[in-house]
Amino acid sequence: MIRQSISGLLANPENEDRTAGEQCIIPEDSSQLFVGTFSADNSPPSVEDMDEAMSRDSSSGFRNVSFAPAPSQLAPGHVAAESLATEGRISGEDVVTGAVVREFHAGLNSDGDMAISVAVIKALTFVIKNSKAYTIMELEKELKAATDALRACLESHQTSISLSAGCELFMRYVTKALTMENSDLDESKRRLTERGDKFAETSHQAKTKIAELGQRYVRDGGVILLHGFSRVALGILKQAATQGKNFSVMVTEGRPDNSGQKLATLLRELGLPVTLVIDSAAAYVMDRVDMVLVGAEGVVENGGIINKIGTYQLAMVAKALGTPFYCAAESYKFARLYPLNQRDLPKDARVYDLNLSLPQETAVETPSRDYTPPQLITLLFTDLGILTPSAVSDELIQLFL
Amino acid sequence: MASNLELQINAFIMKLKRRQLPGTVETAQKTVELLRVVVSSQPRCTTSSLLEAVRDVGKRLVDASSELVVGNMVRRVMYVIREEDQQDSARDRDRDDQSDFDEDEDDGAGQEETLTLGGPKDSKIMRARSLASLLEYQTPAAGTAPSSSAAVSRKLKHNIIECMNELIFDLGNICSQIAEQASEHLHANEIILTFGFSTTVLKFLKTAKKRNIAAVVAEAAPYYDGHKMAKQLAAAGIQTTAISDSAIFAMMARINMVVVGASAVLANGGVIAQVGLHTVALAAKQHAVPFVVLTGLHKLSPEQPFDPAVTMNDVKSPGEILDFRTLENEASGQLHVTNPTYDYIPPSLVSLFITDGGGHCPSYVYRLLADHYSPEDYTL
Repeated sequence: MIRQSISGLLANPENEDRTAGEQCIIPEDSSQLFVGTFSADNSPPSVEDMDEAMSRDSSSGFRNVSFAPAPSQLAPGHVAAESLATEGRISGEDVVTGAVVREFHAGLNSDGDMAISVAVIKALTFVIKNSKAYTIMELEKELKAATDALRACLESHQTSISLSAGCELFMRYVTKALTMENSDLDESKRRLTERGDKFAETSHQAKTKIAELGQRYVRDGGVILLHGFSRVALGILKQAATQGKNFSVMVTEGRPDNSGQKLATLLRELGLPVTLVIDSAAAYVMDRVDMVLVGAEGVVENGGIINKIGTYQLAMVAKALGTPFYCAAESYKFARLYPLNQRDLPKDARVYDLNLSLPQETAVETPSRDYTPPQLITLLFTDLGILTPSAVSDELIQLFL
Repeated sequence: MASNLELQINAFIMKLKRRQLPGTVETAQKTVELLRVVVSSQPRCTTSSLLEAVRDVGKRLVDASSELVVGNMVRRVMYVIREEDQQDSARDRDRDDQSDFDEDEDDGAGQEETLTLGGPKDSKIMRARSLASLLEYQTPAAGTAPSSSAAVSRKLKHNIIECMNELIFDLGNICSQIAEQASEHLHANEIILTFGFSTTVLKFLKTAKKRNIAAVVAEAAPYYDGHKMAKQLAAAGIQTTAISDSAIFAMMARINMVVVGASAVLANGGVIAQVGLHTVALAAKQHAVPFVVLTGLHKLSPEQPFDPAVTMNDVKSPGEILDFRTLENEASGQLHVTNPTYDYIPPSLVSLFITDGGGHCPSYVYRLLADHYSPEDYTL
């Protein structure tokens, strides 16, 4: 995994502006991996240098090094670097934050279909694996720093609810596992890395499980209304189409981020009859619709969901006309949130420019997501099974027991 | 498999196919009895192969019958086996830890483990698909699967059979356990509406006779078993009014509570019940009358209703509705008579389930499922 991350690091164009405080890992010819310093003239370090570095460095293996950005200068198998910017031991946390963000981006870049939470878990697992912490407290501190760094990096342009949920799940699990085990730290770290990897794998399978469960609700000759770009919901329809069912899909336009356009394209690729309707026409078409299917950015404690703006409206219309409203969400999206009203949601900094010419001092509100209460939701399709909204809180409690 | 056992299984399957078993309780008890024979006749084997054997027989029974009760009982038995196995291995661990603890006084971990036995830890083991188990590293042999390497000890088998006997005994007591709760829910001088004939409802109402209730019984076409119900209620000394189905909506304004039985309760809290009850439920909702369903927990099924009016229905002979003899000269090609047996009642229309385990609201059904079935057994 470390070799993967190195190629990720190297391939990442952000390599250019590395600053001091980042991790440098040298794949050595020998079987061991060294983290160490380099001589000032950019030549690959000799083994003696490394030995000296290792003996000097007692606890934290991370050193404050900076990179020479141009890959052409690199000797094969080595990452060139400048000498230490500062002396003395730097806390593992500072170094970790930069590295984990890189790893996170690398993970997202490597697999376009990967959910944010999965990439988060992989990045955190990476932190554990490379941590040179000697105590559990130190490891937890590093993880906390990593989590905060990841949160900060996403706040500006993407939703962070799935991220928070995934982080919290992982942190909760780490604290639970670490306090329960009385084995040594290395053993715990090894097991945590194993489990982190398993989590990534499980969540990948979550989509397939949900598709299998959800496709049973798609009826032959049915009309399904989709809202918001959800890969999980799309997976359900894909599976139903593979099963040979004939159905048609209506997609809301999904302004202001035009999710409908993206969805419609993908659905046409599946060969399904698609109708795009403007958002305001949701109630207008609702009597022709057999079921409404949405994804979720987060599932909250009472079984309600946080999703793209317009979901709440759609759910209300569906309830009024007696149309079932289904939500497809993986279990790692279950968040420890309990919104009491629409403004109770975590702040999302996304701002949409509506490109309108408005008179001065006209206030414009472009919220990006809303909260749909559980009484409007018929069923949730999750990898834990088909749940009624009331069952969600039970599952959450299970986790935090 | 012993040919004697095979004969018994085939005989039971034949009975199921011919619908010769009256009532869900009988069906449930016979199913468990048959599975008990399967379990006791198994040669010395591991728990997972025992589960496999039960599952195989169970599948055959489920395929032979449209009754959901059969599948429910198979799953109950499998849950019992898993639970007993877990408790057994927990007891073994306890014994081992106890000996460790005695040797090593400062070993706090051993103490901790004995203390958590029987607590939430056990329930976590059974809830296979919880979030906690998401991150549990599932080694091939362990995880939520029973200890596959250890053979089923005589004691474990004995425990399993004991549990199954208990199950059979409890099934016989369902009616009385539900009826016991009658005085909590029925109040003085109330008018109760019921539909058709149900022994559970009959017993329930008779138990509450001292509350001076009055009953209104709908006749329930096409079988008109409401007539039998009305006669029996009157014989028990309860003031009874018999009405036709068309009068239900009209009477609903005067009704205090609707009490009915059910054929099955589904995983979302929906109910499969006698045809006509969906209409009654809608009328009750319209008039804000509580709609109470009496059901034993053996009718609780982990099936999710995909299209229950179609997929979970049974269509009987149209001759029960329209006598064939009256169609002599009619253009019978144009006339289509359908006789569905069941109605699906969505959970939003049900106020309360009164079960042998107490009263529950429809949104709580998921929890009842988790307490009685193991999620791995939902699909047999």
